[in-house]
Amino acid sequence: MNTPAASMASAGLWTLAWRRLLRDRVGMVSLALVCGYLLIVIAAAAGIVAGDWAREAGVNYASPVFVGAGDSAPQAIAAVPAAPAVPSEPGIVDPLAGVLAELRQNLAAAPPEPPRAATLPLGGDKWGRDVLKKAVKGTETSMIVGLVAALLAVAIATVMGAYAGYYGGRIDDFLNWLYSVFTAIPYLLLVLAIAAVLNQKGTLTVILILGLTGWTGIFRLVRAEYIKHRSREYVLAADAVGASDAQRMFVHILPNVSHVVLVQLSLHVVLFIKMEVILSFLGFGVGVDTVSWGSMLNESQAELILGKWWQLAAATVAMAVLVTAFSLFTDALRDALDPRLK
Amino acid sequence: MTPLRLSLAVLIALLLSGCGERVASPSAQAGAAQQKVLRFTFMAAEAGFDPVRVSDYYSGVVIAAIFDPLLTYDYLARPAKIVPNTAVALPEISDGGKTYTLRIKPGIRFSDDPAFKGKPRELTAADYAYAIKRFLDPKNRAQYAFLFEGKIVGLDKLAADAKKSGRFDYDAPVAGLETPDRYTLRIRLNEVDYNFSHVLAFFMVGAVAREAIEAYGNDTNAHPVGSGPYVLKQYVRSSKMVLEKNPNFREMLWNAEVGDDPENRKIAVRMQGKKLPLIERVEISVMDEAQSRWLAFQRRETDLEYQLWELTPKFMSDDGQLKPEFIQQGIRMDRSVDPEIIYLILNTQDKIGNEPNPFGGFTPEKIALRRAIAMAYNVEDQIKVIRKGQAVRAQFPIPPGVAGHEPGYRIGIPYDVRLANALLDKFGYVRGADGYRRQPDGKYLILKYFSQPTERDRQFDELMKRSLDKIGLRLEIQKERFAELNKLADQCRLTMRHSAWIADYPDGDNFMQLLYGPNSGQTNSACYRSAEFDKRYEASRRLPHGAERNHLYREMARQVEADTAWLLTDSRYRNVLVQPYVVGFKKHPVYAHEFLYMDMDPRESKEARP
Repeated sequence: MNTPAASMASAGLWTLAWRRLLRDRVGMVSLALVCGYLLIVIAAAAGIVAGDWAREAGVNYASPVFVGAGDSAPQAIAAVPAAPAVPSEPGIVDPLAGVLAELRQNLAAAPPEPPRAATLPLGGDKWGRDVLKKAVKGTETSMIVGLVAALLAVAIATVMGAYAGYYGGRIDDFLNWLYSVFTAIPYLLLVLAIAAVLNQKGTLTVILILGLTGWTGIFRLVRAEYIKHRSREYVLAADAVGASDAQRMFVHILPNVSHVVLVQLSLHVVLFIKMEVILSFLGFGVGVDTVSWGSMLNESQAELILGKWWQLAAATVAMAVLVTAFSLFTDALRDALDPRLK
Repeated sequence: MTPLRLSLAVLIALLLSGCGERVASPSAQAGAAQQKVLRFTFMAAEAGFDPVRVSDYYSGVVIAAIFDPLLTYDYLARPAKIVPNTAVALPEISDGGKTYTLRIKPGIRFSDDPAFKGKPRELTAADYAYAIKRFLDPKNRAQYAFLFEGKIVGLDKLAADAKKSGRFDYDAPVAGLETPDRYTLRIRLNEVDYNFSHVLAFFMVGAVAREAIEAYGNDTNAHPVGSGPYVLKQYVRSSKMVLEKNPNFREMLWNAEVGDDPENRKIAVRMQGKKLPLIERVEISVMDEAQSRWLAFQRRETDLEYQLWELTPKFMSDDGQLKPEFIQQGIRMDRSVDPEIIYLILNTQDKIGNEPNPFGGFTPEKIALRRAIAMAYNVEDQIKVIRKGQAVRAQFPIPPGVAGHEPGYRIGIPYDVRLANALLDKFGYVRGADGYRRQPDGKYLILKYFSQPTERDRQFDELMKRSLDKIGLRLEIQKERFAELNKLADQCRLTMRHSAWIADYPDGDNFMQLLYGPNSGQTNSACYRSAEFDKRYEASRRLPHGAERNHLYREMARQVEADTAWLLTDSRYRNVLVQPYVVGFKKHPVYAHEFLYMDMDPRESKEARP
């Protein structure tokens, strides 16, 4: 197919936006970074990388390789004196003594476990888990929370915004009242209160908390767009050909406000990644069997007292790069989608 | 705790954190300069101040300041030495050790309280008899009932009758608990009990006034009325307690066995012969997080701090000394290993509530499951990582410094993950597709661990989870507040929990009773019932401290290991930080209301500035 033929047809909104985005070098670099993170998330979710993040690969607080074992080298762990199970009191019978003796003999033949490393690529945490793997696995948690919560918030906000903007009147009043109630409560307090009510740690809980509290800003924008669009000619035309209210709202108007929604979506991904970190830092986030950047930062509080800075550094850098890249990408996306900047 | 209550607690906590600012306002500090006010914190909330209704350390500190036991301990003598308190002298022991006669100093008055209708109320021997009877009133469900159960002639009969009739008859005569005159108490024991003086010196066995107890009914936890050095002036549950000098307090002069210790001499020079209490007001706030407690101490908003284990590297060098910058500020540190044990309880009951307990019972496969958990739990990491090295491994149920401790004893449950795995394989706990083991009959196996919603306990959760993951056991963590956990413990509803027990009195019996079958639902929160153990425990109670009793204690310790009802973990160092203007502090091995024997210099002018 030759290119002139393609350019004959008038390019659509999305094609034009994509072309504009391609010209934005910063936008493309940040897109590449975000895609890189997404690949990590997929790989981590599939268990290809960092599947064994919870394993104690190194000694407690293993140093990063570039620091060297140095003074954080393990204090030799004094072996618990090899006492036979419940010995020395002839009057007491251990029902497991025979079994344990036999099992011990079998185990004596088995090869010993490999020793734990003194250094790890980016160091180890208090249990000796690999900080690099934790950061990678934390990417999965943080990105999934950010993306899914943002999708949830956007979905809620778009539907509610559409109804409020399109119908106006009582529905609009009611939804605006709801919006006002939500925004009247200080955000962090609201989040903590809901976290306390749900009283269950976990990724899903965090997603729900963020999704259910984070829709307000998007709702306001979508509602304004719908108010603007509902009396446009194309909508009236759709009415004339017999399109239902729902069709007009979601088939005709939605594509025309979707650029607003999309930009808000990516802004909220960033916001929610940061919120998850705050929630986990405050102890309301993910449970003990999950790692996220927030829980890493939380752990590093206690580690800093001991001068172990690597976990803090790893989580901070991983988060800062993603958040910066995502924000720059969002900027580029907004520019690309803005028809006035053609 | 219900979610709603928790969210309310969050809101209240947020509101109170605002109030905290006000407490530290200049006017409050100016007031503090005139009055001697000691401020410190609790890391967990108190349960209340009725001695028969609570059992936690924090409530005990306040109770010890309000109520007056017959006997007490010398402030400085080590090992702890019993001295008379409201009694004129140590008990006269007759009848071969079965009868204790005590005479009470006349003229001691209870603190004024509306329950006394404006009349002064003198402390009498009958108040002690009443206080002791209350421990066995089934209505009170006293955790410390074990102190008197089976010991006093005729008292158990009364308790048994009360269980039947639903009403404890406090007026019925008890042969073993007589008051021949107003100031004499005669206690007759069923059998010789070498620890009974310790029981009478225990701060939970202070005198209470019957009128006050009856006047406050179910609310006695909030209205303690005693004859001790302090009265409860202000009380905000789980948040703030203010004690003030009891104006009716009897004449008590500072007097302690100084010995050769130069530190003791320094204290004695300042304190000897002074009328107690010298500190007029004690303010206690509840602060869950170590970081907050540390900041409060550094800002001199607290005068004593003794619960900073996880922050120890901030103020202590590796060799156990206070860092120079704090020495320069005049801060002092008192460091000792607490007479305590921390242990992981593994509930041995067949059922918990109505649910079957996955590792309850004494069949080999259940013991194997408990043993595997005990072998997989990494105590080394608990000490090194969670305690930051501020603890020593506990080997024996009786800690060092307590009569009956066995220094050469080594725990018989080694840390051995591979052996634990092999043991579970052997007994048919097969791993399912998810990597977690099933019960031998193929049913799901989920174990429950209880802890508090604090940063410190999150680390225990992690360690527990990591340890059990290594042997393929699925763990569920249930979060409850301290008081709630104690309530669940009373009902034998805790499956696994880290518990701590600190000596009420410095004798091994106080620790071994934690495993005595009939104490289930009181202090035996593993609800461990072993005929072998109980038989030996009962025999040990009839013996004085010595080789014969120690032998029984060793056997009992081995029996607990064989049944694996506990895994002993550690005993913590107690690093008490003291501000420079606090005078006369020395950590006492048994009680925690040292402030009765202390004084304070004026705070430096810098502190009083606005």
